[in-house]
Amino acid sequence: METVKTKDSAPGAATRPQRQRQSNELRKIFLKTGLIPSASGSSYLEFEPSPALAAARSTPKSLIPPSSALKLACTVHGPKPLPRSATFSPNLVLTTHVKYAPFAARKRKGHIRDASERDLGVHLETALRGVIVAERWPKSGLDITITIIEAEDDRWWGDAPDSHDAPWGMMNVLAGCITAASAAIADARIDCLDLVAGGVAAIVSDGDDAAPRLVLDCDPAEHWSILSACVVAYMPSRDEITELWLKGDGSKAVLSADDKRLGNEALLDGAVDAARGAHTVLAEAVRESAERYAGLALGGPAR
Amino acid sequence: MASAAAPAAQSAPPSLSLPPSQFARLQPHAYLLAHLSPPATSNQPSIRANGRAPSQFRITSANTGSLTHTNGSAVVRVGDTTAVCGVRAELLPTEDIASWSVSRSAAATTNKRRKLTDPTQKLTEEIGDESDLDADADDQSHIEDLNLLVPNLSLSTGCAPGFIPGAPPSSLAQSLSHQILALLHTTRLVRAEDLRVWYQPPNLGAEDLERHNESEQMDVDAEEAGEKDKEIKAFWVLYIDVMIVSLAGNPFDAAWASVLAALRDTKLPRAWWDIDNEMVVCSDAVSESHKLTLRGMPVASSFCVFEADAAAGWRAVIIPDAEEERQIEESNRKGVQRRWILADPDGYEEGLTQERACIVVDKKQGGKGKLVIVKMEKNGGWALDSEELRKLVDISAKRWEDVRQVIGQC
Repeated sequence: METVKTKDSAPGAATRPQRQRQSNELRKIFLKTGLIPSASGSSYLEFEPSPALAAARSTPKSLIPPSSALKLACTVHGPKPLPRSATFSPNLVLTTHVKYAPFAARKRKGHIRDASERDLGVHLETALRGVIVAERWPKSGLDITITIIEAEDDRWWGDAPDSHDAPWGMMNVLAGCITAASAAIADARIDCLDLVAGGVAAIVSDGDDAAPRLVLDCDPAEHWSILSACVVAYMPSRDEITELWLKGDGSKAVLSADDKRLGNEALLDGAVDAARGAHTVLAEAVRESAERYAGLALGGPAR
Repeated sequence: MASAAAPAAQSAPPSLSLPPSQFARLQPHAYLLAHLSPPATSNQPSIRANGRAPSQFRITSANTGSLTHTNGSAVVRVGDTTAVCGVRAELLPTEDIASWSVSRSAAATTNKRRKLTDPTQKLTEEIGDESDLDADADDQSHIEDLNLLVPNLSLSTGCAPGFIPGAPPSSLAQSLSHQILALLHTTRLVRAEDLRVWYQPPNLGAEDLERHNESEQMDVDAEEAGEKDKEIKAFWVLYIDVMIVSLAGNPFDAAWASVLAALRDTKLPRAWWDIDNEMVVCSDAVSESHKLTLRGMPVASSFCVFEADAAAGWRAVIIPDAEEERQIEESNRKGVQRRWILADPDGYEEGLTQERACIVVDKKQGGKGKLVIVKMEKNGGWALDSEELRKLVDISAKRWEDVRQVIGQC
């Protein structure tokens, strides 16, 4: 409906944001727990805006944002008794729900969950089910709700709509969801095997003749094309992966002469490294939550 | 709770007193009442369970423009209630409006506004009367008839345990959405002129000539067609979405404040009719965009009435109890308060009260002019009489100053 025209209509008028981080450098993550007091556990996660976005915010020239940074809120309600109509369950029944705000993406989202949102919910459930010690709460339910206030872009807005056309932004969103949900579950004091963290790695190519390379925590807007990407939910202290999602074909990519790994192996290792990075932030947020809880327990009875 | 209590019972003899937080859960009404009417001997002031005075609002903070994919956005926190509002503008071309071409041809010949179905509206308004925007009294009709403002409020964000995500919007969410829509219409906050995309034949102004120099020749014969050929080619539709991220009572005040702050932040790109492509195009330059010019700054304040008699809520639905009213009068004379009006109730207080009031006030000329009551609503009881409402308006006026400072800063 709306046609956007750049001022002087020259194709080079708007430039693609460039990745300024090292290939193994993650974006900063802001993670805070306990912002929603009516929930038993909650967390808020935000990715650092890319330099291009930060520049566009401080000195706005164009109304079209160059990229976007993930912002999401996660709440955990429960463990609570299952409704009377539900059948007996010896384990904790986990329900995950991921919803984009209507203004989260470049295109306005509907109020009813679409296929991609359901997909994210299922992926998140898989990632968390292996972490929670579910047999400690028979006949109980746990609701995890994630509201995505700002999503990641699938591609740079200036690219043709069908260029490297896969929802790459969803993978970053999923990694954020996993990390945030993990913090919220810990904030709700639900027993887990470990703090599970999400991480993304991608094999990208920045031009037709450029060699493909592996980058951690890729912002899809910053790359000319993404060959394949991988998101994992990883538990560092047990060295286990509870969820693995790989998209695209990076199996034939030759990364460098001294790297003998296959494309997919390198991708997986990269995603695990990214998850390890997110885990340090996660551990810090959970420590804060525990300190707050301890303070409450000393000062008066906890919630 | 149970697991914490069990070891304590084994180690120490069970104490007969409960910690305050458990008493608050077991006997909420008595708990709040004990706070509000402390025994005269204790020398404690009457204060709410959350530590606020009865007419005190929670600390409010606001932040605007932090969301990337919106034309305007705001996050407002009122205590623990958080509302995130994003405004997105989309174009509605007039050729997509079913009844537009019929009414437009009538308007073109008479140089009058589109005739409205509502006979009470006056029909004699000039097009593009920009000199006196406040005078164009019925420019709202476009906004209302074409639904150019589409607010929606969502509570299914996990903000409170009662709202199941994925379920259809709860009746509370629907009613709040409708209240926001109704308030946007009655306050006439957004000017319809800001939402119109005009097209004027290009041979009138030098600037237009320059822009349309290719189409110049074919427009020569349209030269004598003057101002009256100016027509609306499209409207901006504002999708105003409010997500209540955290709910701890009084969602309406927070939601309305976030809508207000987001609309103040909203920037619309310059849009024009491109005659070559026969479509509306926009410029992405920030320097060419314009902010909405809002009419005033209405601020909502909500109140609830807490009755000392726990059963008052049950009787409220039947008839005023003359006997009870007499007793309250009597105790008032003796200096014993039986009824409290609590400003900005939190979730705990909302659960204990029946009667609600919401007052929306505005001050003209940026606070220097006189106070205007935009909306006054009360329901659920008869405790608030005209005298009490007058006091509430005064409290709302003070609240207006506070909110203006908070929103004005961002």
